[in-house]
Amino acid sequence: MRTATFSAVPRGLTILVTAAAVLAPLLLILYQSFLTAPFFDARKTVGIGAYEFIFADPDFWQASLNSILIAAAMVVIAVPLGGLLAFVMERTDLPGKRWIEPLILVPSFVSPMVLAFGFVVAAGPVGFYTVWVTAIFGGAPWGIYSLTAIGIIAGLLHVPNVYVYASAALKSLGSDVEEAARVAGASPFQVAATVSLPLIMPAMLFAAVLVFFLGFELFGLPLVLGDPEGHLVLSTYLYKLTNKLGTPSYHLMAAVAICIVAVTFPLVLLQRYLLQNARKYATIKGKAGRMRELPLGKWKWVAAGLIGVWLFVGVIVPLSGVALRAFVTNWGYGAKLSEVLTLEHFQSVFDEPILVRAIWNTILIGTVGGAIAVACYCAIGFATHRRNDGWSRFVDYLVLVPRAIPGLLAGLAFLWVFLFFPPLQPLRTTIFSMWLAYTVVWLAYGMRLISSSLMQVSTELEEAARTVGASRGQISRQITLPLIRHGLIASWLLVFMIFEREYSTGVYLLAPGTEVIGAQLVSLWQGGAIDVVAALSLINVVLVGVGLALALRFGVKLRD
Amino acid sequence: MYRRLLFVALALTGSIALAQTVPPGYPADYAQTIAAANKEGKVVIYSALDTKAAQPLVKDFNALYPNIKVEYSDLNSTELYNRFIAESASGQGSADVMWSSAMDLQVKLVDEGQALAYASPEASKLPTWAVYKNQAYGTTYEPAVFIYNKRLVTGDEIPQDHASFAKLINTKVDKFKGKVTTYDIEKSGVGFMFVVQDTKYFPAMKDLEHGFGASSYRVYGSTGNMLEKVSSGEHLLGYNVLGSYALVRAKKDPALGVVLPKDYTLVLSRVMFIGKQAKNPNAAKLWVDYILSPRGQKLIGSDVELFSIRNDVDAEYTAASLTKQLGPNNVKPIPVSAEIVNYLDQKKRLDFLSAWKAEVAAGAAGK
Repeated sequence: MRTATFSAVPRGLTILVTAAAVLAPLLLILYQSFLTAPFFDARKTVGIGAYEFIFADPDFWQASLNSILIAAAMVVIAVPLGGLLAFVMERTDLPGKRWIEPLILVPSFVSPMVLAFGFVVAAGPVGFYTVWVTAIFGGAPWGIYSLTAIGIIAGLLHVPNVYVYASAALKSLGSDVEEAARVAGASPFQVAATVSLPLIMPAMLFAAVLVFFLGFELFGLPLVLGDPEGHLVLSTYLYKLTNKLGTPSYHLMAAVAICIVAVTFPLVLLQRYLLQNARKYATIKGKAGRMRELPLGKWKWVAAGLIGVWLFVGVIVPLSGVALRAFVTNWGYGAKLSEVLTLEHFQSVFDEPILVRAIWNTILIGTVGGAIAVACYCAIGFATHRRNDGWSRFVDYLVLVPRAIPGLLAGLAFLWVFLFFPPLQPLRTTIFSMWLAYTVVWLAYGMRLISSSLMQVSTELEEAARTVGASRGQISRQITLPLIRHGLIASWLLVFMIFEREYSTGVYLLAPGTEVIGAQLVSLWQGGAIDVVAALSLINVVLVGVGLALALRFGVKLRD
Repeated sequence: MYRRLLFVALALTGSIALAQTVPPGYPADYAQTIAAANKEGKVVIYSALDTKAAQPLVKDFNALYPNIKVEYSDLNSTELYNRFIAESASGQGSADVMWSSAMDLQVKLVDEGQALAYASPEASKLPTWAVYKNQAYGTTYEPAVFIYNKRLVTGDEIPQDHASFAKLINTKVDKFKGKVTTYDIEKSGVGFMFVVQDTKYFPAMKDLEHGFGASSYRVYGSTGNMLEKVSSGEHLLGYNVLGSYALVRAKKDPALGVVLPKDYTLVLSRVMFIGKQAKNPNAAKLWVDYILSPRGQKLIGSDVELFSIRNDVDAEYTAASLTKQLGPNNVKPIPVSAEIVNYLDQKKRLDFLSAWKAEVAAGAAGK
């Protein structure tokens, strides 16, 4: 009994702190949405005026429609392509798989802000590739600012999200059925379409819901690509409300956020339900046996070519655009590459104390912050590990909540918390405020990493310790924790990359002292400091690249 | 760290003797303000002007007052306002000095009692329209200009006044389709303020709005984006662009052309005031007086490239040179006055926006 009370205190505290960190911002947003002015304004009154306003605004409906269209386009594009990609990578004798695998995951680790910016400078109306192609053929047959283009680009960039789940599901599936189909004369494509992919339907369905959900939350891409033609999606509409009335319209922004959450939270719950279902489904495996690679035959080069085209469009075009733009003074028709090369932009980044601090802060928040975040996730993981009581179920749902709130508004809510909650006030202009927001926003992701590590620890070891009289705390510290240390290091690397990539959460938290590259990019882009954006983007890509290289070096699985 | 080093360096190089002298023409008790400011030791400034652009001012101020550390933060004008009201409401104190191009928001804050009353000894040297209630002061004289891509728009095609701009985009629709840009007046407070002023001075504003529709104009939230896109040739013409930024870039950028409209040129003046809750009110007073002084204004008209508002200052960019170039009747400064906050009223603003959109849509449908 003594041990029970001993471990109950830290557990209760962990759950309490988590609940406060997750629910305070959400409740604040909810409260704000039912006011007529900022909640700290003495003239505020309670009412549903904010909802009346946005529901009467044609822009809101247009933005909602666009969000749905883009999300649907992403599902239509990313799900089949991701499934096929997983099939080709897991099941066939495609050449160079070891090289392709990490490349496939690049789009999911690079900031969407950077990629979108890359598309503008590479393939925009006067982008590098556009200018070159126009010089040769007299015109470039693409545009990147239309709604269709945004949908296609977003779809292509989310192929990895589907790939990750589809390939995991395929791994757990015996290959004998597929071999049978192949023996019976089916082409590789037929095998994929009629045998493999239907067998992993639950995982595909899960991925489809995930992609739709991500489409609904899209911010960086539509912010950059939707601007020139004025295409709004819900998140950019929300951002635009910052200024539409001339003065801050927090109540309107909060109301839009609540509308977004009303759509995303059910989707998050649906994902959870599907994931549990998928696990059940995965037990219907083929007989365990040696996995044999299906020979692709003449399809080999078609498959390799298609993957190459996708990688070219989704990775090489935007990243080469960013890299090139970082080294030229100006660009467009009539500019010669040899005349405009410069290192000036990096000079101006390093001359600017704020940007230098942003780089240091970004490194700090990824390394130290990432480690502390993993420690927090771990504490929460232990609070629910091997316990099936009401509190565990509460935490299970709790960690999903931040996933549903757009990062942009979560950041704003955290700013309010830091402004008006006295104990936190002194920390507002420190990087701690940014770190706390990041840690809460990525709670669901981090918890998935931790729990997949915890699940690998078999119960016997813990039970053995218990038999010899160890307390829960002792088991956690002396048995479980050492066993999952490799999992924790892997989680740390993944969290590092996610934190380097994050941009929307910091937009409103940006202040002297809290600068990070991601949020700084949004702000600089809004200000039109393209040169600095390019240089800073490249620095950001290098940071993520270092994380990726380390992860590959240490054999970290790049997916959960 | 870097900042601290910088200030140490500045403190060492600055001349201490200068710091304690009362500038000529100032009241004698100004020495007490200086002493109190030195005791405060710092001044916190929130500004819409980039840190980099403001560097010469900060350095020079430190040469004058080496014991006062300048904590300068740049934010966009909306963020500036949001942060100021939130911090003030939280009771933690906010900026000592607010300096923003969103003139209307600044005047609104003054009207709401957020500013400290301070009659600057320099105030008499400013135009009367630039002084508001002895609390807020216009500090610069920045024209709204047209910009164009020099490689692709040449000769007679370059619009010289508002009427020819409107005519050009209404008639040469094929060339300019999707290639005309201006501020997104829903996102940019400055852009909104400019077009409200335009309706006062340009009777054929409707033609211009139709032209924007006919040419499917592209809008952005900031000046930098417009400069970049016109320079690259993605767009050809830019309307109502903040001239101070455009002229600076045009100096280095061979593709960017700038026109000061001949019929009338709107002028924006960055508004500065001291926060009511300022923790360092005396240091803030020194900063405001410095910015309005001939010494500060001369820098604004040269290194900072924002156009000095004082007529008695000799520099590259000054109100005087602009007035001389355009004729005294063609320069239309936006007054720092109660009038400019009219359109912060939600209904008026939304009505203006929807009327604007309707005209643009009519232009798009008509051609």
